[in-house]
Amino acid sequence: MKPDQYDELERRCPRLGGPVTFHYCRTSGQEPPQCWKVIDCWWERFDVVAYLRVHTAPSEFDSLAAAKPKPKVATLVDLIRRARAAAGNDDT
Amino acid sequence: MEARKILLTEDEMPRRWYNILADIKMNPPLGPDGKPVKAEDLAPVFPMNLIEQEVSDQRWIDIPEPVLEVLATWRPAPLVRALSLEKALQTPAKIYFKNESVSPPGSHKPNTAVPQAYYNKVFGIERMTTETGAGQWGSALSYACSQFGLECKVFMVRVSFDQKPYRKSMMAAWGGKCVPSPSTETRAGREALEKDPHTPGSLGIAISEAIEAAVADGSGKTRYSLGSVLNHVMLHQTIIGLEARKQFEKIGLYPDVVVGCAGGGSNFAGLAFPFVLDKMNGKQVEIYPVEPAACPTLTKAPFVYDHGDTAGYTPLLPMHSLGHAFVPPPFHAGGLRYHGMAPTVSQLVTEGLITPRSVTQLDAYQAGVLTARTEGFIPAPETTHALAVVVEEARKAKEEGKQKVIVFNWSGHGLLDLGAYERYFCGELENYELSDTEIAQGESIFRNYPKPKLLKSGS
Repeated sequence: MKPDQYDELERRCPRLGGPVTFHYCRTSGQEPPQCWKVIDCWWERFDVVAYLRVHTAPSEFDSLAAAKPKPKVATLVDLIRRARAAAGNDDT
Repeated sequence: MEARKILLTEDEMPRRWYNILADIKMNPPLGPDGKPVKAEDLAPVFPMNLIEQEVSDQRWIDIPEPVLEVLATWRPAPLVRALSLEKALQTPAKIYFKNESVSPPGSHKPNTAVPQAYYNKVFGIERMTTETGAGQWGSALSYACSQFGLECKVFMVRVSFDQKPYRKSMMAAWGGKCVPSPSTETRAGREALEKDPHTPGSLGIAISEAIEAAVADGSGKTRYSLGSVLNHVMLHQTIIGLEARKQFEKIGLYPDVVVGCAGGGSNFAGLAFPFVLDKMNGKQVEIYPVEPAACPTLTKAPFVYDHGDTAGYTPLLPMHSLGHAFVPPPFHAGGLRYHGMAPTVSQLVTEGLITPRSVTQLDAYQAGVLTARTEGFIPAPETTHALAVVVEEARKAKEEGKQKVIVFNWSGHGLLDLGAYERYFCGELENYELSDTEIAQGESIFRNYPKPKLLKSGS
């Protein structure tokens, strides 16, 4: 199973609202590099779990399988804190 | 001639939004530290008047006059009887749709963009920032800011920016500045570009950039705006359903079935929440949020998320193993949250007031094309999901010989999504099914993850 074997497959990304390739989904995340919805979105097209087992580190796989997306408000608060810290006006 | 459109005058436009938080119990949103979020936590990016709406439990909230004046540009939106679609389906059902594609940007999004721009303006804000995927929200906010003399900066995910160059032009026509994300304008963008100068970007980076651009403005005159998921967004969208109720009253009908596509939840919530209120008060009405069968969040997502700890969500089991007809059982109130879905919509599923459904992409496009060829309007891809369920319900009504009244939300037009139609016409879209063996394999991989607590509110 090659890493780029499914790269050309395309589907509509429910987050962006437009078409993306599997290559995008496996590289557009931050930590880990895969989008956290990669399993949710691709399981019907091919055995994405088996693919990720082979091509991700065990810790990355666990992180995707146990993806813990925060509620939106928590994400916003987190980003605000980071942005304030980066801007040097962190008062927390 | 049979009446096709049910119209309200501008005087009849609803003067108040409906706030569903008055009628359902929700846990307070939690911050990254697991503690309830305080107003001051959000103050760097939202004006206090919107934060007050976000947490309000007041059932009815007045719509400010200046907001009504802008909304009146296209509102009240027509309630349209889909007579030609009915004829094509040979159904006894009466099919109606709220046509939200008639707004200047062509979708329901300005229903919240306009009040958000207004509340920022009266709070003394001069500039707004946001992120956008395919550009629908960025267009709506650019339009809204133009109505109140605000500057608008939109960080559009690079991959979509390159696919849809006309979106940038739309935003520019309204004075909005659309930049591809990652950009060199923020630290978050520069860091992403340093890692990979050719990165196609992501929604996560674009949000980081938009937040940073708001927070980093030392003058305090910039704020951030979000077009879905949050409570105040759902609130603003309820004008759709409130208008629809009045329009049905005018013709002496009440819907048996209410349908809306559910991505982040806002267009579904906009039409459905006022009918949910009626249902809570004893009305008989079926309410269906509809999502794609591939990548679902409400119906049969591969994983269900428990609320084992106060802040997080733990994947429990691959839901596809439960079959395509599976509807998630009720979960503990405030516990389960679905990825990317408005918490209020998730809660209504939990409480059994709405019933999520999913459709395949081929069924969705087939319904979209049938509607385009009968009603004329070309629906946005999201709208086609609602249409697939409408077609299904209309056929069911025919089989049962029932004169059901069906209403759905026409959330936007598809004139900037023709690439997706092209792929459908070329036969490049397919539906996918997992074999039993694949399902069993999926189950075995996740068998060691914890199992969910299937509890309902009050149990």
